[in-house]
Amino acid sequence: MALGSDVRDILDLETPDKDPVTKESLMNDSKKKKARKSDINSKRPEGMHRELWGLLWTDNKDSPPLVPSDNSQGYKQMKAKIGSSKVRPWKWMPFTNPARKDGTIFYHYRRVADEGKDYPFSRFNKTVDVPAYTDLEYQQHLHDDNWTRLETDTLFDLCKRFDLRFIVIQDKWDREKYKERSVEDLKERYYNVCNTLKKVRAPPGTEPKIKVFDAEHERRRKAQLTKLFERTPEQVEEEDNLIAELKKIELRKKEREKKTQDLQKLITAADSNIDSRRTDRKITKKKLPPQKTKEGLSNPETCGIKFPDFKQSGVSLRSQRMKLPASIGQKKMKAIEQVLEELSIEFNPMPCEEIVQNFNELRQDIVLLYELKLALANCEYEQQTMKHRYDTLRGIKTEVNMDVTPSSLPSTPIPGETSVSLLSGTPIGVSSTPNTPLIQVTESQDDSPTLKKGGEAVDVVGNADSLTTPNRKRKAAIEQSNLLKKIKQKS
Amino acid sequence: MMADVRQEPTVGGGRIKGLTIVKPIIYGNLARYFGKKREEDGHTHQWTVYVKPYKNEDLSIYVKKVHFKLHESYPNPNRVVTKPPYEVTETGWGEFEVIIKIYFNDPNGNEKPVTFYHLLKLFQSETDIMLGKKSLVAELYDELVFQDPTPAMQQLLTSVRPISLGAYKHETDFEEKREKTNNNLIAAKNKIRYEISELNERLKFAKQNISKLKKDIAQIEKVDDKSIISLIPQ
Repeated sequence: MALGSDVRDILDLETPDKDPVTKESLMNDSKKKKARKSDINSKRPEGMHRELWGLLWTDNKDSPPLVPSDNSQGYKQMKAKIGSSKVRPWKWMPFTNPARKDGTIFYHYRRVADEGKDYPFSRFNKTVDVPAYTDLEYQQHLHDDNWTRLETDTLFDLCKRFDLRFIVIQDKWDREKYKERSVEDLKERYYNVCNTLKKVRAPPGTEPKIKVFDAEHERRRKAQLTKLFERTPEQVEEEDNLIAELKKIELRKKEREKKTQDLQKLITAADSNIDSRRTDRKITKKKLPPQKTKEGLSNPETCGIKFPDFKQSGVSLRSQRMKLPASIGQKKMKAIEQVLEELSIEFNPMPCEEIVQNFNELRQDIVLLYELKLALANCEYEQQTMKHRYDTLRGIKTEVNMDVTPSSLPSTPIPGETSVSLLSGTPIGVSSTPNTPLIQVTESQDDSPTLKKGGEAVDVVGNADSLTTPNRKRKAAIEQSNLLKKIKQKS
Repeated sequence: MMADVRQEPTVGGGRIKGLTIVKPIIYGNLARYFGKKREEDGHTHQWTVYVKPYKNEDLSIYVKKVHFKLHESYPNPNRVVTKPPYEVTETGWGEFEVIIKIYFNDPNGNEKPVTFYHLLKLFQSETDIMLGKKSLVAELYDELVFQDPTPAMQQLLTSVRPISLGAYKHETDFEEKREKTNNNLIAAKNKIRYEISELNERLKFAKQNISKLKKDIAQIEKVDDKSIISLIPQ
């Protein structure tokens, strides 16, 4: 196709040349971007989907396009629109590289327009500022016992040559002439010299900027990294295991701490419980924290179970007031059932008013007792672990009497097998011999005949689960403390 | 219309707050073994499920009807009884749960019906019952608690009329049972309370121990920390 400009060129018609194509016009042409400021920043109507609104109104258009868009360009490369201006001539010309010291003249093709300009790539010739010192300065400030003048000079020369690439410098270091120097040694000497020079040369009153280089730290850091790198796979595995164990220990620790907190509240609750019951019979009890108690803290977080309160008007069956709430867990229900069985009380006695009241109270007490037992088990466990730690730290076996009530029962050895007894006086966490007679406790408070009945060490919370979990936990804790000992010994 | 009735505080509309009327009832079933399995349908027992008042009174004054829902395999499983004796007699071969629903004669229609469940008991290991000489009795005690009834309802509930002229008693001696159960419960409560207080003591003691140990350990650790740092390998 004969364009106008081509025709003019052929015919050598003189027309003022439009400015030679600049880079900007080329680049901008191919991506015509009209940055029209959108004056109306309309808001998407509520309820309309974002995509729908996007179809109707994008950032710079305010009406739907009437002309269908042209998708033919698709995946093709955009052809650069070169434009129809005249060809720019190139010429073979000489140039010098200011980065070179010798001023050699080279030749290459360049645009005529660029003739005379500097070689553009010379600006990349950057060098590092390596300070130079005089003899006087050296004698006055830079003297060092480990470094001779010659060594220092070589060092600085190498630094200048290799642009402070210390790895290379260390490699180039002449081991026969001078003694073996590590990278840290070289760096240390270099930075010390630089800093001293800066301090000396700084005009009085100004603070020179000092590069801090801690050679010791660097040496240790690299030693540690090499150690880390050179670990065998077994060591890596062992480390991972230890870390996992540590996490588990921490987790359990947190749990136990939480439990001790609950414990505190339990104790206060149990205390206030018993006191309040001795005075007047209140039936409303609230559940344990972490649930929030709405009614003020007049009855501070008592524990137990709340029975559905049927104070509403209407007809109801008395037996419904005896129903257990649904939120009681399986374990507690089991515990209640076991105790009731032991006391030979049927699970659903005949619902008279008095019986219902007594029964509900009894069950609440049972739950409270169960929770206290659990808390006590936790406490004992914690005591054990602490004692263990104490012993390992001390390195001696102290004799701590752990399972002793104030009325001083005979002290018992650390358990292999424990039995959590609910109704008898046998202490928890006790006795490799499960038939230790319980005596002292009941003797001191000997009144009702029914107390003597509970003579056997009965397993109320006898499920395999609740029994062995404290057991298992204890064993796991002992293992972990052994692991900790190992770690300490290794270090 | 309903609004008018409610606005009038008395005269059968408003509830009497704080008033509770308790009507104890007995419900359950009798069952008797035929002695053999009946050929035609395989039934082995005859049973009667019933609801009776604990005291000698006529329930129909305040009870409109009693609805017994039997197992689906029975024709017409929904049996409604509108006057005493409130019972259903049937034959069968298996035990199932009967849903008993009592509807009340509330003139204002306020009282909702109460529902309860009874597992029909046919089998027992006592020889006489197994042989069919004696009937098996499975009855339970419960109480209908009317909380804040309307005056009209109260009227119905308090006008007691005996239903049988002669002696009125049940198969099970509930009085004795009540006495025994209550005593048991009270004894149990005391025992548990004692255990609780005991545990409390031990808990407190344990806690003291723990805090003491903690302190000791902390002290040792402080000393140890300083010495351990020197153990780090170079």
